[in-house]
Amino acid sequence: MGNSQPRRLEERLARELGLLLILLVIALIQVTLLTGPTGFSVPILLVLAIARALVGSSTAEPVRGLIRSLWWAFYGGLALDVLGSLPIGSHAIAQLLAVIVVGLATRRFAVERPIVPLLAVAFGTLIYEAVLWLIVLPPISDWQTYGLIVMLPSLLLALIPTLPVVAIVHRLVRNTEYQ
Amino acid sequence: MRDFLDERPLKLRREVAGDRGYWRVFALALSLVLVSVLLIVLDRQGVIAPARLMVRETIQPLAGWLTQRRSELLSWWATPRDAATMQARIAELEAENTRLAAEVLRLEQARVENIFLRQQLAITQSYPWTILGAEVMIRAPDAARRVLTIARGANDGVRVGMAVIGQQPGGPPALIGVVEAVGPRTADVLMITDISSQLSVRLLQADTAPLGLMQGQWQRGSRMRVELIDRSITMREGDHVVTAGISGALNLPLDLASMPTAVPIGVVEAVRQEGQRQIGEIRPFVDPDQVRYVWVILSQDD
Repeated sequence: MGNSQPRRLEERLARELGLLLILLVIALIQVTLLTGPTGFSVPILLVLAIARALVGSSTAEPVRGLIRSLWWAFYGGLALDVLGSLPIGSHAIAQLLAVIVVGLATRRFAVERPIVPLLAVAFGTLIYEAVLWLIVLPPISDWQTYGLIVMLPSLLLALIPTLPVVAIVHRLVRNTEYQ
Repeated sequence: MRDFLDERPLKLRREVAGDRGYWRVFALALSLVLVSVLLIVLDRQGVIAPARLMVRETIQPLAGWLTQRRSELLSWWATPRDAATMQARIAELEAENTRLAAEVLRLEQARVENIFLRQQLAITQSYPWTILGAEVMIRAPDAARRVLTIARGANDGVRVGMAVIGQQPGGPPALIGVVEAVGPRTADVLMITDISSQLSVRLLQADTAPLGLMQGQWQRGSRMRVELIDRSITMREGDHVVTAGISGALNLPLDLASMPTAVPIGVVEAVRQEGQRQIGEIRPFVDPDQVRYVWVILSQDD
């Protein structure tokens, strides 16, 4: 009984580290395999974090689900920051804000309806890209150009994997739930 | 993956008081955002850069492997798999190949033409001639006559009796033949090596330039020979032979009146005595059988 608390802490640290590594690998896949010839990549980590928030907020413990999604967003953002050119923390902030806003806004909607995840990811992508635009504001000061050249293609690309990703996350979370 | 989703099993039913703990979500979100801002500040100050570099170096092999897989995937995706698509692709490549082959040929022609034009420029700068370049189209297939056909004719100002010169690398421009027949766009050139070719020439010696008669000898197993008019003059090996242009100088109504003077022909290679006659064997500066491009001397400036 005396050493159960430290072991619990070690397990938790190992689990967080494992999650971080998995998200780092997914980030690598995003920037290598999922990049198109025009330079855009499918923002799979953002979609994963939003899907985790949608599924988590629809469970019996929505607060805990949203908290987990925040950690996913943070780790995923850091993984992208390591591989990207923006200062470390940029993608993390963008994903955190997108996930918290979308997670809270959609917590009353049923995630099983396809339109909900699609709208959530579309809204989340706009927030994500808007935050990144604010961070890189000096070089790209024209928001209309940024919206047309960057935000719109990113939004369309994010919608492609949305439904499969939500389905997979939903299935994983439910399987855990019934164990 | 499942282990990382939640730290403890989820409850099946939504609790009535589930909305009460949202402050924890806001608190965590705020904390993580603050941590992110702190990371941005530290990164801008260069504190995190070494760690970021180290992580990148560590994952570089995996990133390279993934990029290679992506290239292979794209290549596989772009490869046609059904017969119709492959046939269409083959037809497309064949058309492209034909177009490129034609382009290569055109460039090669331009390159050759450029070489000939440079030669022509050099000749006109060194000699007082007005010349016209012409490509050798046909060589007479029979050995009876040494004739070649050039791609210039009366429409280009070519006339019977005009001198035709060629040039080989490292040598001077020299006579290879005389225009024998002219069509509108082509002309036949009788080579100076043909046995029916006879020209008045001069031998360039130290203090004199004696006249001689040159005749082709190809059908006799040689090239050309020269015999001096004045038998008292001694012919020597190494004497240069040029055209005399007698007909032109005397303004005779002959075809060869168009032949300019002092067009290089060759050099006396050997001299032999036949009775009282001196016969010189001439080695031409330009082998008429080797030329692919020639120039017709249209006129000579006085």
